[in-house]
Amino acid sequence: MNTILGLGFILIAGLFSARLINKIKFPAVTAYLLLGILIGPSILNLTSQELINSSGFISNIVLGLIAFGLGQSFTREFFRNIGRPVLWISILEAVLPWVLVTLSFFFILKQPFYVALLFGAIASATAPAATVMVVREYKAKGRFTDILLGVVAIDDAWCLIIFALSLALSKALAFHSSNTFIFKVIFHSLIEIVGALMLGGLIACFATLFSKFIRTQTELLIYTLGFILLTTGLAILLHLSVLLANMFLGTVLININKSNLEFFDVLKLIDSPLYLLFFVLAGANLEIGLLKGIGITGIIYIFFRTTGKTVGSVWGGYIVKVEDRIRRYLGLGLLPQAGVALGCALIAKSDFPEVGSMIFTTIVATTVIYELFGPLCTKYALHKAGEITIEHH
Amino acid sequence: MQVKEIMSKEVITVRRSTKLKELLGLFNKFHLFPLVPVVEENSRLIGIVSFRNLIDVFSPYRQEILKTVPFLDDQEEDIFKVELTKDIGNLVIVEDIMETKFVSLQEDTTLEEAFKLMKLHLKEEFPVTDKTGKLVGKIGIFDIIRRVFQEKGVI
Repeated sequence: MNTILGLGFILIAGLFSARLINKIKFPAVTAYLLLGILIGPSILNLTSQELINSSGFISNIVLGLIAFGLGQSFTREFFRNIGRPVLWISILEAVLPWVLVTLSFFFILKQPFYVALLFGAIASATAPAATVMVVREYKAKGRFTDILLGVVAIDDAWCLIIFALSLALSKALAFHSSNTFIFKVIFHSLIEIVGALMLGGLIACFATLFSKFIRTQTELLIYTLGFILLTTGLAILLHLSVLLANMFLGTVLININKSNLEFFDVLKLIDSPLYLLFFVLAGANLEIGLLKGIGITGIIYIFFRTTGKTVGSVWGGYIVKVEDRIRRYLGLGLLPQAGVALGCALIAKSDFPEVGSMIFTTIVATTVIYELFGPLCTKYALHKAGEITIEHH
Repeated sequence: MQVKEIMSKEVITVRRSTKLKELLGLFNKFHLFPLVPVVEENSRLIGIVSFRNLIDVFSPYRQEILKTVPFLDDQEEDIFKVELTKDIGNLVIVEDIMETKFVSLQEDTTLEEAFKLMKLHLKEEFPVTDKTGKLVGKIGIFDIIRRVFQEKGVI
């Protein structure tokens, strides 16, 4: 199948498979991922090699868009809106899986530290789509639901920051390890991070400066996309963090001028087909052959990520003194894992070719498990917290 | 020419604490539910409410918080099928549904600039503030078009 034919097929098949899976109450992203696994080289082999090879390229663009969008969260209004409990709980439920998964991979599975760190960072992500779907379906309402939605709304922003830091550190550890001088490692990571922030901030100033020449929505779309690609491309060229550069681009833009929020809204016109493609390609990248070898890795990953999410929420809940029923079950509502985790895993795959395939396969396999069972856990959590108003039969 | 010369200075505003029921009552007489500025006691502009936000009342969660979240399935509640409790009119207040990220104009903005921004943002009305962020008026696309007709001597 040629590449263009493949693209057309993916878009149409993706649309209808999402409709189909919606009937049994799973989010569209699950359908895209399963479709990708099905048509990938391991099973039906309907995708061209060219398309598979472009996954890294697509995921960089998609994660650039996501990071840019999440950047607009960092305003005073947003933090006032979500409130202090959400802030604390979200930070702890993101940081704890990072720490626990990293330590368990390093000490129990004896993985090199930079690999353990990447797994840990990916473990901090959640998948809001699945959580929101369950909340809608059961018409959940109340303080637990409010806090849960607030947490999933900000959680991916923490994840991208954690992943960017870990990636910088992992690269420094893996590629400059001949020199065990710790300062060199820290120095290389700091350059990647601080440089990315400077790049994002600088481009945001340029984008604001020239935005007075923009007259229509169409021009705005081209303009916004152009600046995001410019940031992503420059970050890659200068070996800076793509995620942090784009996130900071968004943050600086929205904080310079509130009316810059149009930059974010206009992207909604084009992001859905890109997201669809991204998930299908992520699925198609799964190497079924590697699945056999990841049993124990997968179990450790799932066990410590789940523990991290649960203990993190309980701990955060203690700090901000929320009711027992909220802190006890919140972690269960945060288990789904999808897009951001897959995107980070794809980046890890392209940046670390030797260990990347193992990381990626583990994340795809656990994502499928989490996406299928996560929503059930969310439903259980909402039920236990007493906030499901309509019972389905 | 600047926005403050043709804007309407009489603007119906609401507070954070205005109840949904009062809000709906307030706009019963109008043909359209307009853009409603939300102000503090010192008339500082803190948000806006439009008919879009009324639809959000039918949704089980706050839409605004999830605006930045990627990969959400874009599903809207079917307002004809959703069951609402009767006391929602007293339970929901403006603060729950207002938008805090919005575009407003300064009173010294030129009409050309205001018109350009309306086209760019696909909006027909903007609230107008002074330098300190206090609400001083509201300008609609018709105010501008009518002014241009006047200048050309048509009316």
